[in-house]
Amino acid sequence: MSGLVCSLAGTGTRAWLLYAENPGFWQKFQDDFYKCFIKDNRYQMLLGGIGVTIKVSLLSALLGVIIGFIIAVFNLSNSRILRTIGKIYTDVIRGTPSVTQLMIIYFVIFATIKWSKWIIASIAFGINSGAYVSEIIRAGILSVDKGQTEAGRSLGLNASQTMTNIIIPQAITNIFPALCNEFITLIKETAIVGYVGLVDIQKAGDFIKSATYKAFMPLIGTAVIYFVMIKVLTLLLDKAEKRMRKSAMR
Amino acid sequence: MIRVENLHKRFGDNEVLTGIDENIEKGEVVVIIGPSGSGKSTFLRCLNLLEVPDEGKVFLDDQQINAPGVDVNKVRQKMGMVFQHFNLFPHLTVRENITLAPVKLGKMNKEQADAKAMELLQMVGLTDKADSYPSQLSGGQKQRIAIVRSLAMEPEVMLFDEPTSALDPEMVGEVLDVMRDLAESGMTMVVVTHEMGFAREVGSRLFFMDQGCIMEQGVPAEVFANPQNDRTKQFLSKVL
Repeated sequence: MSGLVCSLAGTGTRAWLLYAENPGFWQKFQDDFYKCFIKDNRYQMLLGGIGVTIKVSLLSALLGVIIGFIIAVFNLSNSRILRTIGKIYTDVIRGTPSVTQLMIIYFVIFATIKWSKWIIASIAFGINSGAYVSEIIRAGILSVDKGQTEAGRSLGLNASQTMTNIIIPQAITNIFPALCNEFITLIKETAIVGYVGLVDIQKAGDFIKSATYKAFMPLIGTAVIYFVMIKVLTLLLDKAEKRMRKSAMR
Repeated sequence: MIRVENLHKRFGDNEVLTGIDENIEKGEVVVIIGPSGSGKSTFLRCLNLLEVPDEGKVFLDDQQINAPGVDVNKVRQKMGMVFQHFNLFPHLTVRENITLAPVKLGKMNKEQADAKAMELLQMVGLTDKADSYPSQLSGGQKQRIAIVRSLAMEPEVMLFDEPTSALDPEMVGEVLDVMRDLAESGMTMVVVTHEMGFAREVGSRLFFMDQGCIMEQGVPAEVFANPQNDRTKQFLSKVL
């Protein structure tokens, strides 16, 4: 084990020496950076890509939660028809690749409808995310003790009053962390919007790669942008979750 | 006040209630005892339709409540229920637990419900807990709050499903005291219980249930002193 660490450290040091003592390498790095991100204002393409990724992620997350909630209610309802609809929905979405879903929605279902590309893409991701969110919400609702429903109903509250006043407020604390996870997955999932002609972060990096014939710089750049975005988001969500737990633990 | 005719309830192949005909008058305190699995709780839960009977009729004030088209929620507003595990709402304060239903159901406005809550909390001696959360209360306090929560709807009947079974022994008394006061105030009560002392003292009529039907009934003291049915004798010899 320690041998491995030593050799790894050795390799790292060697690489650094190579870097630091070889002005040619350092120079090349700077040149590549300039060529890929600065020249011809290429960074603007990436900035635009960040905007697209954020727009699509936010709208599809919103749609996903709405659709997910509706499907969860279907899955938990007493009506066999609604349950079947919910089951088919979840099955179909989970059983097909999201790229395929995106392309079907864009090129088939919305073929003749002239909405903005990013809205159509968001609908596709929202429909996809909804299936997963519905399972999260369903599990969260089922995690609330059955006695809570009985207490609510025995007081004379109807099913939806019991749901909104008693069950949902308790389920949210259980649902929130899983929902955050789903949101993060969703952001990364949107990296396929290039398939329908949207220029998000991934596609912008791709364009730069094609234009410069350089692979390393644009791809690593793309990865770094995604990573930083998601890291910042994770920190914010963790904070929100802690605050929520605190207020739920009274 | 409550009448059941030919009440049957099955869970799968298991017939839990095998045909019960009974009539409970206003002001009665009916205590139900019997071995576990005898259908006591299911019988009680059929009275407010938390369990839907498979066969038979349930009447409240001469209205058949398990008929199609009856608004069950309206019926339940007239029947309070207290559970073994309290089932207080943990995300709400004691006050909010009590006022939620009366306010949401339009029975009272916020101020009236708050006043009612304080009045009832006074009755059970827990006014200082109005702004506490259920997790900060002892079992006995929780159950007293649960009783108050039901009473806030001003029900005509109170159903108790083993209200002291989940309590530490030293807390049973405080809950039974509240129930005794309630009985003395003239409330119609149906109580499933293992507290034989309470059944004897407070009950006006006792049902002994076994195998899904009422095997024997009568004035509690008489049934305890002189049981007629063999199953009753056997059961009482074990618990008394």
